[in-house]
Amino acid sequence: MGQEDKEKTSPGSTFADWMTAVTDFWLSAGKTWQAEAFRASAVGEKPDGDYSGRMQEAWQVLLRTWQTSASALSSPQTLEAMLKAANSLPQAAMKILHTTWDGYFQLYQMWLKSLGRAGEASKAFSYEGMDPEVFKEWTAFYEKEIQPILGMPQVGLTRFYQERANEAIDKLNRSQVAIAEFLHMLNLPVEKSLRVMEEKLEEQAREGKLSENFKDYYNMWIKILEGHYMTLYQSPEYSRCMGSTLNAVAEFKIAQEKVLVDILQFLPVPTNRDMDELYKEFNELKKKVKTMAKRVEKLESPS
Amino acid sequence: MNEPKIPVDLIIAKLAEDLEKSQERILRSKEVLLGPLETDIASTPYEVVYEEDRVKLKHYPPMAETRVKTPLLMVYALINRETMLDLQPGRSVVQNILKEGIDLYMVDWGYPTRKDRYLGIDDHVNGYLDNIVDFIRERHKIPRINLMGICMGGSFCIMYSALHPEKVKNLITTVTPSNFDTDKGLLNLWGRGLDADLVVKTYGNMPGDLLNLGFLLLNPPRLMLDKYVGYFENIDDKVFVENFIRMEKWIFDSPDVPGETFREFVRDCFQKNLLIQSKMELGGRRVDLQNLTMPLLNIYGRFDHLVPPPMCELLTSRVGSNDTEDLCLDTGHIGIYVSGKCQRELAPKIAGWLKERDGSEMDAVTPESMVLASSKKKPTPKKTSSSSKRDKRNPKGERS
Repeated sequence: MGQEDKEKTSPGSTFADWMTAVTDFWLSAGKTWQAEAFRASAVGEKPDGDYSGRMQEAWQVLLRTWQTSASALSSPQTLEAMLKAANSLPQAAMKILHTTWDGYFQLYQMWLKSLGRAGEASKAFSYEGMDPEVFKEWTAFYEKEIQPILGMPQVGLTRFYQERANEAIDKLNRSQVAIAEFLHMLNLPVEKSLRVMEEKLEEQAREGKLSENFKDYYNMWIKILEGHYMTLYQSPEYSRCMGSTLNAVAEFKIAQEKVLVDILQFLPVPTNRDMDELYKEFNELKKKVKTMAKRVEKLESPS
Repeated sequence: MNEPKIPVDLIIAKLAEDLEKSQERILRSKEVLLGPLETDIASTPYEVVYEEDRVKLKHYPPMAETRVKTPLLMVYALINRETMLDLQPGRSVVQNILKEGIDLYMVDWGYPTRKDRYLGIDDHVNGYLDNIVDFIRERHKIPRINLMGICMGGSFCIMYSALHPEKVKNLITTVTPSNFDTDKGLLNLWGRGLDADLVVKTYGNMPGDLLNLGFLLLNPPRLMLDKYVGYFENIDDKVFVENFIRMEKWIFDSPDVPGETFREFVRDCFQKNLLIQSKMELGGRRVDLQNLTMPLLNIYGRFDHLVPPPMCELLTSRVGSNDTEDLCLDTGHIGIYVSGKCQRELAPKIAGWLKERDGSEMDAVTPESMVLASSKKKPTPKKTSSSSKRDKRNPKGERS
């Protein structure tokens, strides 16, 4: 196949042919329309006055612009650039997917390691080094790979709406991680209490003091578990984790509220923000009225 | 070395036996759960004599001849409801107090909505509470009333009595936090690190369900697991089920706490500990504990993990009154009001203490009597007593 044939059968060539055909069609349609309007005015038919003339003019400007663009786009260089950009889109999507998958895979690996460590001997009633690595790693990954995408500057008329929506997604992700860490922490006493139970049972078995009643084991476990929770609750790690979870959930709720306000402003319903402003004013007014009523009552009462 | 032997066969045999018993219990429970159950709470008749916004004042008709002339106003916390004081006939602080011949009023704070989010402690203490006290004084034509506060309601009563000592004849605080500078008590520990501003900004009011979740997390094994195991083990016992459901009804009936009040309480009390230092300000006035010149009875629970003794016991040493008494009962936060032993002890103690200090002050409300009332002091030496027997009959599910 020669170079000329190649150009003829390439997608770029097909696109150029299509552009030329479309331009020719609309140009001839415009000319026919103009000729028809001319004929109508010649035989005395009313050609819609100035409006028709302006439409004709606008149509021709539009066609000329189209023709210019079409000829520019028809050039092989432009077409090549366009196709290259189109080809790179799936590549970018794949890259994002790949990065995300890598993150989840890392997370999964860390979970596996963490589960492996659960079998190791644990120090009873101690909550130092509670394996928060998995959450730290995930947060680091999220902050490096995903959050910057959500934090990209938005442009155009809807930039503020988009920004608020992205912020809500960001806060949702963060709150999910915080909740997961908190739940993981709440599960630690259960893990530890089971380990302690195992040791206690071995000890009782050695001493031949094992009970036949299952309830005795349950009571023993509940008591151990309670002790573990009390120790956990006194730890600074727990206070930190609980605080950050509450804050993360609160921040998500605030971000979510902002998006809701954006949506609700198109509907004939007041938002919480509107109502809060009203409540504040109402509250202040009520206070003033009550104070004044008391003063009036005092003035009116015979002393 | 011999391997330790676990009597697996015996354990399995016992388990099978238990399983059989459980099946029988479940069958019997159908009759209980599907039949009529008496689970009403707060069934003692009352009349609403005053209303302001969401707040109501309940007045209970007397059940016995009046033995204490000065009426008693009970002020419950903004967390949960005052219905706990009247759980059921035979387990009701309200009825026990009435049987002691005390004229009883109770504040019902109602259910705050979003419009109440800007109401602070000042609105509750110098607003609603002051109006209620004035209403009772006017109704009975007396200058001062007896005041009794429960938990956070007790803190409000301390603030009120310090700002309006001329209107309070005797003050009783029960499980009332006044000193927050202690590491005892998880709420205290958590309250210090809480970002109350963010909570209020987020939710408006502090949601009751969120508070309840916090209370459950104080002891998940007991409150989220063992309690229901106990319920299941007694599910065929009608009386047990009725009592259990009553307690569940009370526990999960949690109104939201007005946002501003929550923020102020966390900031000024939990985080800055201003109340006990007489540094707290309400409505531009300092809450000076030295103004608490009326007799003070301070009751708290030795095993209270919500408001542990160090949060309560400092109060009597900081007030201006010479007539103070600390009473530490061997029970928990709710056990004081619902346990059988405390039911028998609390009301007679309160009635006896009030009767001793009732006097014959039934004069009309005049500015002179108010001035006189605020300057009176009973020169009784300070005394502290505590109950010695531990109460083991706290019903499961209580916050104690």
